[in-house]
Amino acid sequence: MARSVPPDLLPGTLDLLVLRILTREPMHGYGIAQRLKLLSHDVLQVGESSLYPALQRLLLNGYVDAEWGPSENNRRARYYTLTKAGRKYLAAERDEFNVLIAAIQRVLETA
Amino acid sequence: MPGFFRRLRARLKYRRFNAELKDELDVHRAMAEDELRVSGGAPDDVQRQAARQIGNVTLARESARGVWLAPWLESVWQDVRHAVQTLAMHRGFTVTAAAMLALGIGITTAMFTVVDALVFRPAPFREPDQLALVLTGNERGVRDSVVPAAIAKAWRESGAFEVVESARPWSGLLEAGDTVVERRMAAVTPGVFDMLGNVRPLHGRLFHEAEGQAGQADRVLISEAIWRTLYGADPALVGASITVDGERLTVVGVLAADFRFPEATTVLWRPADLNQAGESARPYVRFASGIPRDDALRIATDAARAVDARARQVNALALASPVAGLSDDYSTRAVPLLAGGVALVFLVLCANVSSLLLARLTTRRREFSMRAALGASRARLLRQALIESVALGTLSVAGGIGVAWALVSIARAFLPEPILQQTLNPLNIDGRGLLASSAAGLIATMAAGLLPAWLSTRADAGESLRVSGRSGTEPRGARVLTRTLLVTEVALACTLFVGAALLMRSFVNLANADKGLDTVGVTTAWLVLPTIESDPDDETTIRAALARSIEDDLRHLPGVQRLAWSYGIPPEGGFQDDGTWIADEPGAVAASMHLNHYVVSSEFFPVYRIPILKGRSFNTSDGFRDVVVGEHFARALWQDVDPVGRTFRNAAQVQKSTMQPGPQATYRVIGVARELRYPSIDSNSGFDGPEIYHPYTPAGTPMVSLRCEPTCDTAAIRHRLASTHSAVRVQRATITAERYAREIVRPRASAALAVTFAAIAIAAAAGGLLSVLSYAVSRRRREFGIRLALGASPGQIHRTVLRDGLVVAASGLAIGSILAAATARAITSLQYGVTSADPLSWATVLGAIAATAVVASWGPARAAARVDPAVLLREE
Repeated sequence: MARSVPPDLLPGTLDLLVLRILTREPMHGYGIAQRLKLLSHDVLQVGESSLYPALQRLLLNGYVDAEWGPSENNRRARYYTLTKAGRKYLAAERDEFNVLIAAIQRVLETA
Repeated sequence: MPGFFRRLRARLKYRRFNAELKDELDVHRAMAEDELRVSGGAPDDVQRQAARQIGNVTLARESARGVWLAPWLESVWQDVRHAVQTLAMHRGFTVTAAAMLALGIGITTAMFTVVDALVFRPAPFREPDQLALVLTGNERGVRDSVVPAAIAKAWRESGAFEVVESARPWSGLLEAGDTVVERRMAAVTPGVFDMLGNVRPLHGRLFHEAEGQAGQADRVLISEAIWRTLYGADPALVGASITVDGERLTVVGVLAADFRFPEATTVLWRPADLNQAGESARPYVRFASGIPRDDALRIATDAARAVDARARQVNALALASPVAGLSDDYSTRAVPLLAGGVALVFLVLCANVSSLLLARLTTRRREFSMRAALGASRARLLRQALIESVALGTLSVAGGIGVAWALVSIARAFLPEPILQQTLNPLNIDGRGLLASSAAGLIATMAAGLLPAWLSTRADAGESLRVSGRSGTEPRGARVLTRTLLVTEVALACTLFVGAALLMRSFVNLANADKGLDTVGVTTAWLVLPTIESDPDDETTIRAALARSIEDDLRHLPGVQRLAWSYGIPPEGGFQDDGTWIADEPGAVAASMHLNHYVVSSEFFPVYRIPILKGRSFNTSDGFRDVVVGEHFARALWQDVDPVGRTFRNAAQVQKSTMQPGPQATYRVIGVARELRYPSIDSNSGFDGPEIYHPYTPAGTPMVSLRCEPTCDTAAIRHRLASTHSAVRVQRATITAERYAREIVRPRASAALAVTFAAIAIAAAAGGLLSVLSYAVSRRRREFGIRLALGASPGQIHRTVLRDGLVVAASGLAIGSILAAATARAITSLQYGVTSADPLSWATVLGAIAATAVVASWGPARAAARVDPAVLLREE
């Protein structure tokens, strides 16, 4: 069953996922949503109302840059690029996320 | 923090930001539809399915936008917009207030810049405190800034100073193409730049150590100033040669225009071996850090005394003088006072802006009360008032920077040379001054802007609504405050005006003071005739022939009417001595005087238009002891008796000049000349002693004075002599009127500044009075209407308002007079021929301010008297 994000995700996780996806190449919003769906085997499906606020948040914090460019089927789309600050943030957050997940798992298994 | 700026940028480009967001979401939807279509759905279905998949687009957009909007930023933004709208709506008020504040900030900054460059800032060299010009002199106050090379050498060897270098300024002719100009130049020892420190050439290089010695002196450094103006900023000039005083010299480098040494106007430096025997120059030193200054000067004094037996008796005392800075008495006293004047002007302007803001208090207070009643918090209201004041202040600061820039440019171009000469600092707008005055201006506006918000939020909103709405009179607090500010303004204006009037009168008195001669059109060249190595009889004949030939040459210059030879010219005079003189008569009383001896040819009197009052001028049969005396001298020795034909002697004399015959020689008076005076604000100018004239015989370094119609060009004189008598050196060429003008330049500058300040202050005070009264009248229309309806005559109403204005003016004048009396006493030393209680000045000031107050109050008073009760009733 498809799930909507974010209610079921830990806070900040969507930002992290978006940043991770952008590490490979600049992408537009729709592309990010598709990639997220694909990589999560359809588990994570983000709607516009969570994806775009997340992107704006990243823009505001300077983790991504946005630029308009032609898309694969000739539409003008806004492409997001990971910035240096974003890369650093991703690395830090990823470590923290791993610790958190491990902690959750420990609790789930031992309690 | 960067987040804040991104947020602000999005806020500033709000429309574009919004459009982009919308476009992006549209594209997203289109892409989703594309994909569904590809996977083969019906067009209707596709749209519906896409919509379902994507969810609420508006919601998405709103929440995406919400990320960017911080609530506090939104409300500040709103306040800023409101402030700008308010200011734009009251354009007249905004422009007036901002212009006044801008003027205040600009003037204060410019004055601070000038005062700082002139007085406070040390010369722009490395460790400037350690640098000094060493003067020689004696305990009696004689000072000499030039020392013989032998003394400089002794100092260098004595170890008193770390470095001793020399410089000798002169005026020379520069030829560039067809133009020939006279500029200040300086011969320097090559090490001088290293001693000053921080000197880097713009192009080329500085001098090498050996330059200046024989065979290596044909090169120069030039200033960027002439490099640009005379040589078109040609980079190839370095290495090329230019013509200086008829000589071809190679340019080795260009120095920045900001480098000023030894004088502010020096534009060319030539290396010279000023340490050669027989040379003399100004000695510049850098003190060694290990030796206390007094010790260093004591060592230097001893060294100078050891060199020269003659110096032992007279002038060997070494004294340190700063390399630059205001040194004359007048400027050191005047500049701080004028700076104080600027501060007063600034206060007046700030007070004025505050009173303008407060005059609007009543309307603003109502607006604020309304908003408070509608639920605005006190903090919010105060913040809004603050933002409004800051907006006004920002506008003023921007204007102030413009005004300061303009004024400093003007100062740079028009400040009189004798003042600019005294600093080696370039005049550039001073950041600290700008910051300080801007901050003060901002604080003044903020204080005045916050007050209405403070008052209206403190009082019960309902009451304050009622007070301003119904009774129609001014609120008491506002009234007291605005009137107090106005009284302050008038008082300060009065103070400034009295000072300005006294300075103006001093200047006029000084400019019109009787000098005893006519300087207009007189130019003097100081010549150095070649040394003649033969027996003394020949020498006199050869010199006389040379002098005649020079005379012939100069008389043929265009415009020359008369020509005279002399040693000594007014105002400096010739040689001077302190002597005791006595008439050859039984019972005559000896008189001790500091006497000024001129040695002059007979045409000297007509050249300077000095009338011979009794007896005659010189003729060829007169000897050195046949003299013409000045009135002062004649009166000292003979009182009212006609001295012509009488004789006198030198009773006891400190012999200082070889030109004096023996002490007991008898002089015969052949004529009495009009006394020469040297009007000066410095009580001790040293040029005002009594004078006697001796007949002229040619010798080594005479001065030749020319009277020309309309004026003689000093450059033309130099040029002519250089081409016809190359062996004769023109040491200096001066226009006599300029030498006298030097004395009035500073008083004129002070008077002009003071008058400007006073004018601004009075205009501001008058404007303040006018606007405050107009406001009061517009607030009180209702009251006046009722009084008129109840039978008051328009004349009575008119008088009520007029009285309001005049009470302010009278209180201001009363306080101002006390301040002005103190000011007048403070500037006593700047006055000439006028006392602090000068009735004309005081009458002018009090009359002018009273008249201004009446004029400023008249309009509002008339408006009040013209209120028509019927119209007023209909309005309600």
